[in-house]
Amino acid sequence: MSAADGAKSVLRRLVNASTVERILISFAALFMAVVVGAVIVLVSGRVATCQTAATTLFGLGFCYDPVEVYLVLFNGALGGPFLLDSPGLFNPNWNPLNFGFALTLKETTLLIFTGLSVAVAFRAGLFNIGTQGQLILGALATALFAFFVAPFLPSGVLGGLILIPLSIFVGAFVGGVYGAIPGALKAYADANEVITTIMLNFIAAQVAFVLVSEFFRNPDSQVVETTPLPDWGTLLPVAFPKGGDFSLLALAFGLGLVVAVWYLLEQTSFGYDLRTSGEQPEAAEYGGVDAKRTTVTSMFLSGALGGIGGAIWVLMVMGKWQAGVPSLGFDGITVTILAGNNPFGIVPAALLFGTLKSGSLAVQFGTGVPKQLVGVLRGLIILFVAMPEFFRMIGSSISLETDDDAVATDGGRSLLGGDDE
Amino acid sequence: MSTATIDQLRDTELSYRALLAVGAIAVFSFIAFFGLVFPESIWADLLGILISRSTLSSALRLAVPITFAALGGIFAEKAGVINIGLEGLLIISAFTAVITTAVIGPGVTILGLPAIWIGFFAGVLASLVFSLIFAVVCIRFKADQIIAGLAVWLIALGLAPFAATVYYGGVNTDNVGTTLGTWTIPVLSDIPFFGAFFDAGPAVYMMLVAVPASWFVLNRTAFGRHIRASGENPKALDTVGVDVSRVRYAGVLLSGFLSGIGGSALSLGLGQFIGNNQTMVNGKGFIAIVAYLFGNYNPLGAFGASFLFAGLEAVQIRLQQVPGYAIPDSLIQTIPYITVIVILALVGRTRIPQAAGEHYDTGEDNR
Repeated sequence: MSAADGAKSVLRRLVNASTVERILISFAALFMAVVVGAVIVLVSGRVATCQTAATTLFGLGFCYDPVEVYLVLFNGALGGPFLLDSPGLFNPNWNPLNFGFALTLKETTLLIFTGLSVAVAFRAGLFNIGTQGQLILGALATALFAFFVAPFLPSGVLGGLILIPLSIFVGAFVGGVYGAIPGALKAYADANEVITTIMLNFIAAQVAFVLVSEFFRNPDSQVVETTPLPDWGTLLPVAFPKGGDFSLLALAFGLGLVVAVWYLLEQTSFGYDLRTSGEQPEAAEYGGVDAKRTTVTSMFLSGALGGIGGAIWVLMVMGKWQAGVPSLGFDGITVTILAGNNPFGIVPAALLFGTLKSGSLAVQFGTGVPKQLVGVLRGLIILFVAMPEFFRMIGSSISLETDDDAVATDGGRSLLGGDDE
Repeated sequence: MSTATIDQLRDTELSYRALLAVGAIAVFSFIAFFGLVFPESIWADLLGILISRSTLSSALRLAVPITFAALGGIFAEKAGVINIGLEGLLIISAFTAVITTAVIGPGVTILGLPAIWIGFFAGVLASLVFSLIFAVVCIRFKADQIIAGLAVWLIALGLAPFAATVYYGGVNTDNVGTTLGTWTIPVLSDIPFFGAFFDAGPAVYMMLVAVPASWFVLNRTAFGRHIRASGENPKALDTVGVDVSRVRYAGVLLSGFLSGIGGSALSLGLGQFIGNNQTMVNGKGFIAIVAYLFGNYNPLGAFGASFLFAGLEAVQIRLQQVPGYAIPDSLIQTIPYITVIVILALVGRTRIPQAAGEHYDTGEDNR
C-alpha cells in the first residue's frame, strides 16, 4: 500500500468516525491545545522581563498569567463585554457592533473560505496545503482586474454590483487554475500533492511580489502594493465600525458557499464521485469514476475557493493587494481539521479560530504575550485532532477500571477497548 | 508484482535519473559553449559563476541543512514513518541553537566547550525532543503521519517566532556575534576549485562523513536491515522477534538527530535566527523530502540531489550580485522550487517502502 493510500485510509477513518465522536475529539483537542498553550505562556513568562510579576506559582513569579491571557483573549475578541478588573461586572457601554467583534467576524469570514477550500480537497483524499498560494494569486488577480476594469464602469452602487461579483469570479478562476496544477501533477505524474502545493506556495508569493513590484506597483506608496480600489468597488462595512473591515455581505456570501459546498458534496453525483475517490479509490475506479479527472476538478474547486478567500481579503479588508499576505491558507487547514472536513462544522471552527486570531491582538496589547501565540495554538490543535487514539485511550482507561473488575469476576470477556477499526 | 515488472519499473526510474543527469550535463555544456564563444554575454558570466570556487563553497554550505534533513527523512521513512515534519525540526533546532548560545553568552566556555557548540547540541536536542513527540503521536497514538507531520511543522513555525518575540521583542533573534567559523586544512585547501572541500565550516565536514556513514548503517548493518524490514515488511520483522515499534522509534529519533544537526548548522553558520514569514529555513525541509525521493532513498543519491538544489541556490545568489540583468531577484529565487516540482513530476513514481504510512499492530499492546 502506498503512502497516498495509507493517508486515504486515515482520512476515511476520520470521516467514518461518528459525528458525535468527532465533535468530542475536536473539543478535547481544543482543550488540550489550550492547556499546552497555557503552559507555554507560563514558561515564556519566566523568560520575559517585566516590572511586576503577573502571577506567582510555587513561589516563582511569572510575567504572564495564562488564565488572564485567555480571559483577555475572549473578552477582546468580543469587544470587551466584561470589565475584567472589577470581577463579574458587565461593561454597560458594550455594544455588539464594536471594533473587536468586527475583527473577529472578519477573520471568521476569511477562514470560512479557506477552510472550505482545504475541506473540499481533503474530502477528495487530497492534502491541499497550497490554499495559501491559491489565495495569494486569487487576491492579486482580483485586485488587478478590479483596478483595470473600474474606470469603464459607472461609479456607485451599480458599478459595485457589476464589479464586485466579476472580480470575485476572476479571483476564483485564477486560484482554481493554480490549484489545478498540483492536481494535474498528482493525477498524471503521480507527484505528491503535499510537496508540490507547498512549493507552489513559495512560488506564488515570489511571483506575486515580482508582478506587483515590477509592473503594478502603486507609485505613491513606499510598500509593495497595488493602487487602492475606489470605495464603491469594495465590500464596505454595513453596521459595524469602518476600521474593523468586516462586511456582513461577505459573511452571508461565505455562509451561502457553505451550503453550496455541502449540497455539492452530499447531494450531487459529482460530490459522490469526489467523496468516493477520496474514501474508497478502488471502489470509485471500479464504479467508473475517472479518478484522474476527479483529482484535477476537485483541486480546481479547492483552489477556486481559496481564490475567493483572496478576493474577499482584497475587497473587504485591504481594498488593494499588498505584499505579506496573512497566513489564512494555513489557518484554513486547522479550521477544516477541527471541523472534521464537514462544511457545516467549518462555521463554528472558523468562528473559534477567528476569535483566537482577533483576541490575540488584545492579548498582545493587554498582557504583552506576543500575538504569535495563535500560530502555536494552530499547530497544537492540528496535532491533537490528529491523534483520536490518544483520547480513546484516555476514555477507555477511565472506563477500563471497572471492566477489569468484570473480567476478574466472570473471566469471560477480555480485550475490551483498544480496538480501533 | 512479478520480477519482470519490478525490473521494468527500475529501468524506467533509472532512465528518468539518467535523463536528468544527461540534461544537467547538456545544460552545462550549453552554457560553457556559449560562454567561451561569447565572452561578453550572460553565458560567460554564468560559466564564471559555475566554475568559481566560491560557488562550490556556498553550495556545500547550503547543502548542509537539506542533506541532513534528507538523511533523517530516509531513516524515518525506511522504518515506516513518513516524516513530513522535517521542516519543523530544522526550524526548532535552528532557533534553539541561536537562543541557547545567546543566553549562555557567546564568549563563555563551559567545561571546555564554547557556548556556540553548546548551542549547537541544544539545537540537536530540541529537534530530538520534537521528533520524540512526533514518534509517540504516530506510533503509540496511531495518528495520521501526514497530519502529525504538518502539525510538527506548524508548531515549530509558530513557536520559534513566538519565543523570539518573548525574548527579543521581534521575530528575529539578535546576531550572537560568532559563527561556527571555518576549518581550513593546510595544503589541500590550496587546490584550485576543489580546495573548497577543505576550507569549509565544520558542518560541511560532518555532512561529508554523515552521508557515507548513513549509507553504511542502512545497507551493511543489522540495525539497517531492521530499519528497512520495519518499513517493507514489519510482520516478518515481528516474527523473528524484533520489536517493530522500537525500530520505528529509532528511525524517527535518528531523523530528529540528523535534522537537528542541519538546523543548528544553518542558523549558527549565520549567527542569527530569522523568523519572518517561513523563517530562515524557508522550505529546506520539504526540499529535503524531494531530495531523498529523487535519490531513491539512497543516502548517496539524496546527497547528490541536495547538492544539486543547493547548487541552484548558490548560482541564484551569485546571479543576483551580477549587475546589469533585469531579472528580479524574487523571480530567480523561485528556480529551486520550480526545479523541485519538475523533478518530483519526473520521479513521482518512486517506490516508497511497502508499509510506510501504516500503523503496525503487534496485537499485544491493545490494552
